[in-house]
Amino acid sequence: MESRRCASAMEIEPVFKGAEAYLYLIEFAGMKALAKKRIAKDYRHRVLDERLRYERTVEEARTMLAALEAGVTVPSVLYVDPNEKLIIIEYVEGVVFRELIEVEGCSERVRKIAHRLGENVAKLHLAGIAHGDVTTSNVIVSNNDTPFIIDFGLAKKTRDIKEHAVDVHLFLRSLESTHPEHRDCIYQAFIDGYRSVAGDYTDKILAKVDEIRLMGRYVEARRQRTVWSM
Amino acid sequence: MVSAVIQSSCNPQKLYKNVDFDREVYVLGIESTAHTFGVGIASTKPPYILANVRHVYTPEKGGIHPREAAAHHARVAPEVVSEALRVAGLSIEDIDAIAVALGPGLGPCLRVGATIARSLAAYYGKPLVPVNHAVAHIEIGRLATCFRDPVVLYVSGGNTVVVAYAKGRYRVFGETLDIALGNLLDTFAREVGLAPPYIVDGLHQVDRCALEANEPYELPYVVKGQDVSFSGLLTAALRAVKQGARLPDVCLGLREVAYSSVVEVTERCLAHTGKREVIVVGGVAASPVLREKISMMVRYHNARWGAPPPSLAGDNGAMIAWVGLLNFLSNVTIAVSDSVVRQRWRVDDVPVPWR
Repeated sequence: MESRRCASAMEIEPVFKGAEAYLYLIEFAGMKALAKKRIAKDYRHRVLDERLRYERTVEEARTMLAALEAGVTVPSVLYVDPNEKLIIIEYVEGVVFRELIEVEGCSERVRKIAHRLGENVAKLHLAGIAHGDVTTSNVIVSNNDTPFIIDFGLAKKTRDIKEHAVDVHLFLRSLESTHPEHRDCIYQAFIDGYRSVAGDYTDKILAKVDEIRLMGRYVEARRQRTVWSM
Repeated sequence: MVSAVIQSSCNPQKLYKNVDFDREVYVLGIESTAHTFGVGIASTKPPYILANVRHVYTPEKGGIHPREAAAHHARVAPEVVSEALRVAGLSIEDIDAIAVALGPGLGPCLRVGATIARSLAAYYGKPLVPVNHAVAHIEIGRLATCFRDPVVLYVSGGNTVVVAYAKGRYRVFGETLDIALGNLLDTFAREVGLAPPYIVDGLHQVDRCALEANEPYELPYVVKGQDVSFSGLLTAALRAVKQGARLPDVCLGLREVAYSSVVEVTERCLAHTGKREVIVVGGVAASPVLREKISMMVRYHNARWGAPPPSLAGDNGAMIAWVGLLNFLSNVTIAVSDSVVRQRWRVDDVPVPWR
């Protein structure tokens, strides 16, 4: 029944149309919320399409919940209906971190936020979660300067240090491509924050990040790929 | 021997702002990166592609043996070069430059094309023009469809990559982390005894076998961010057959996962870049199943799509001649002494001065 009411909310226009999901700004139990609906793709076989959207919805909700439990600031998951491929999450009032950096550069405020972001990513990793897409576009800075990590569409539960290092690597890449002049300053604050939670694990991560960056694919392919995040 | 002359109703000046099409120029291009030895001749004047002749090495069993393919190319080369000139109605003296695909591809095969191109250039005193094989697929796709700024899905036996133009280059948006889509389908078909031949009546053996399926067999679907991965899929599909799963169901499961994942990455690129056109190039572009999926996908984004005709979609000499022409008119040439082959020459390493 619940899902039927949500489905009727889907008749409103999406605020954002991604490749795999549409986002709708709705009211849920009296509060502002975002509904993320993974839309059916007729180019995939019906059975495969159902399976993929079901699994991805469940995985996203699961990793977000695990992140919450680990004390990471993420929007609360308010409602999940895998059959409808629907997740409703708390709407966080704030600005995208990328935009804040564009305005302020590596200000003290930005450094503080990057530090807290580093703490959060470390907490994710210690809880056995890799986000898979940590960029400055996927962080919402709330009105009290708390960084909320969003879009767990590629996240998964894993204790593989390589996957954790990829998160750090992707964050560094997103700084390089979008805010090259502030790269070192913001990255340092992020790593300081990471270390304050993860301790010695940070050194292992940093060694892996170097390894990833030296791999041919990343050095060549990924370096030139960074234009996409601009 | 297969030959084709393609008329283009497109005015390439619109696609290539930095190239002067008023000059009358003829470029001969040589393709020999894998199993095809092809020679094409391109011109700045309609019909732009004057000749497209090729001879394809087909192994009796198994995959491409690089050394045998190279021996094949060396054997057919003189005949293919002469035939291309004959079809174009030109003599070698009329040619302004010799273009060659220096990579990416199989070393022994590349060396045959490079040797012939160097000899022609040195003997007749023509400039030698280096061409990247992947860029050639993209540009002949643009010429054939007349699309200005498409997202490109390049799928063949050796390549699976999604690229789009940004800031002076074709940038890799996503690609396979291991084997290519064509390689996946061919290897599976061969291992389970469906091939060779790989393609019958325009349909791959895996697609033919899938016609008898009830439900797709469940196989791992791997899209990692913007990249795809097929080696685990191949292993899982072969294991399923070995363990007695119904072959048509595995065929359907395999091809659905394989095609859907590249279409999904193409879709992400389309959504991310906001572009409105898609082209599909490479040997697998001929697949009716893939084409249908792409046409369904672009509808979600109000985009249009196209693909070159089969003679220009698979490996061919015309595309090398065409990019050779663009490069030559952009003053990109190479000294014979520097013209080493580059097996792993990435598409995003190549400056694109003509756009």
